[in-house]
Amino acid sequence: MWKKAFEWLDERLGLKDIYTNLLDRPEPTGNWWNTLGSASMFLFVMQGLTGIFLTVYYTPSPDHAYDSVQYIMEGVAFGWLIRGIHHWGATLMVIVVFIHLLRVFVTASFKFPRELTWLIGIGLFLATLGMGFTGYLLPWNQKAYWATTVGTQIAGSVPFIGEFILKVLRGGPELSALTLQRFFSAHIWMLPAVLAGLMGIHLFLIIKHGESHFPTKED
Amino acid sequence: MNDETKKKINERYERELNKGERFWPDSIFKDLVVSLGIFILLIVLATFVGISPEAKADPSDTSYIPRPEWYFLFLFKFLALYGQIPLLGKIEWIATVAIPGIAIGVLTLLPFIDKSPNRYYGKRVLPISIMAIMVTGIVLLTLLSEVPTVSEDGSKLLGILQAIAGLAIPVITMILLFLMSFVFKQTTTRVMVWTTSLAAVSMILVSGTVLALHPRPVVEETEVAVTLVDQIFAGQDLYSIHCTECHGDDGSVAEIKGVEGLEGEKITPINSHDVLYTITDSAMYEVIAYGRPNAGMTPFGKAYGGELTKSEIDYIVTYIRYMWDDRFEIPAEALKPLFPPLAKGEVPSYEVHIQPIVKRYCISCHRAGKENNNYLMASYEEILTTGDNVANNIIAGDENSSLLQVIQEHEIMNPEKTDEVLIGVMPPNRALKPNIVDVFIRWIMNGMPQTAVEAAELFVAPTATP
Repeated sequence: MWKKAFEWLDERLGLKDIYTNLLDRPEPTGNWWNTLGSASMFLFVMQGLTGIFLTVYYTPSPDHAYDSVQYIMEGVAFGWLIRGIHHWGATLMVIVVFIHLLRVFVTASFKFPRELTWLIGIGLFLATLGMGFTGYLLPWNQKAYWATTVGTQIAGSVPFIGEFILKVLRGGPELSALTLQRFFSAHIWMLPAVLAGLMGIHLFLIIKHGESHFPTKED
Repeated sequence: MNDETKKKINERYERELNKGERFWPDSIFKDLVVSLGIFILLIVLATFVGISPEAKADPSDTSYIPRPEWYFLFLFKFLALYGQIPLLGKIEWIATVAIPGIAIGVLTLLPFIDKSPNRYYGKRVLPISIMAIMVTGIVLLTLLSEVPTVSEDGSKLLGILQAIAGLAIPVITMILLFLMSFVFKQTTTRVMVWTTSLAAVSMILVSGTVLALHPRPVVEETEVAVTLVDQIFAGQDLYSIHCTECHGDDGSVAEIKGVEGLEGEKITPINSHDVLYTITDSAMYEVIAYGRPNAGMTPFGKAYGGELTKSEIDYIVTYIRYMWDDRFEIPAEALKPLFPPLAKGEVPSYEVHIQPIVKRYCISCHRAGKENNNYLMASYEEILTTGDNVANNIIAGDENSSLLQVIQEHEIMNPEKTDEVLIGVMPPNRALKPNIVDVFIRWIMNGMPQTAVEAAELFVAPTATP
């Protein structure tokens, strides 16, 4: 019965091909440092899942954002856990992605033939920081408000186009409802889309070229 | 890179693959173990560390010290240190845009800058050394982010030390490393590694000195009421300070008494159905924030020159709703008595009894900046030693103490002009409940004990009281 079902699916999905091409690949002997990439991906998935749950109650307006977060923490069953995981996941993700970057740098895994994987990886790192920056404002508390005020100010110090950048980020000269709305939009739509797309290419490249081996005196 | 090198690299990789492992299950197993570990770590952090509560965003509160996300703290610190550099430090965008931009640019284009096929650590001392210095710097600047560049006494020592650890040593080391690599090419790997290690250690030592010289300031605990009960308590305390003066401790005042400039003003009792049923939370918030200039109510919101933050006004609204609006059911925990009831012969103390009573009924007027004959009641010392009429105000064991007289509805007349009231009855708008008056009488008759321990000693010998 199971065998039949498997064969039916295999005929249509090519499960065996996926197994031989994707999973049953040879790899150089790895060690625990090689798990940082998948750990980053795991954190991204966790952030995605908890984030989706949070949007059920979260309201991105200055009048209600703070109260809706309070409600998630106090009123919703296990809301504190979901938000707690999202909060700490963000911190961990920045750390893990950064250590992953350092590992690749130290073992020089970015060299031929993996240059493009590195470029995409830098994109992923910057997008992760962007996620942190935009997500920080959403609870609309004092810390968030003032951190974003200062953060956007720094972005606004770019010569010539600084004022334009500031306006684009804030949606006006001051932090307002518009700022919150566009940070929310960037946080839940734009940046995750960028991240997911880049991750797809990153993974494809890793499967294509295989994980790099740890260098020895020969290299 | 020519085709021969590429071929060599690919052949080398093939050899590694042949003596390697399988993606499934070997690599995936490790990945799953780490992911599971991270998952457990997240749950532990969310459950046992949690998220520290913060007050609602308040654009008018300019006293708030802004701090960025922790992973941008090092940039913030870098900016502050850079600002100390004479002349160059004035051009802000070099530090905010140019230097981080160049750093990220170099990082991005790394595969095209470092084109040699060498991968072994020993053949890449320069890039690894530079990265080591950078990462050490980033970690140290993050740790130093709390330390100001100019100490409170105006000394710039801390700032200079920080600039040495965070700017001077890294920059000098990097220049040295570049010189060793490109000018004095005979420099051995060993020398470069030693230079880097020495630089990193000295950065750590200088930063350690800074941290030791500047003991972490006690972080000011911002009180943020999270649960409903906490919010009601917070609202009650704030109400007692800011609103009791005119509206009375229970909101029932219809004619203001004893308030400079508003004497005899008729107002609607704010605990009435009329007010509670017709004014929504947001309208109530706005009345508190803007005040009612026509009716003499001053603005309380910080944005309009008052003292209250947005969160604080929210707490007051919550308190008013749950306390007086009969459509809301106040949680039982929020109704705890103001002070533990006194047994026969028991002596009340300042810390257990008097303080909460004063906070609820008196402090609204008897604090700095109010019309109160300079009688302040914010602390034990103030209650006993301030005021224009301090001589007769509180006399241990004397039931004619002015304070006891006025809370029992006896005015104190001016001894020089008999028709002039020196001190009116207190509180001006409504008499205290008998059990509260009793607390004051027992406290003063027994010599005003400050702590519960002192009061308990008096309780052992109740016969000593007159």
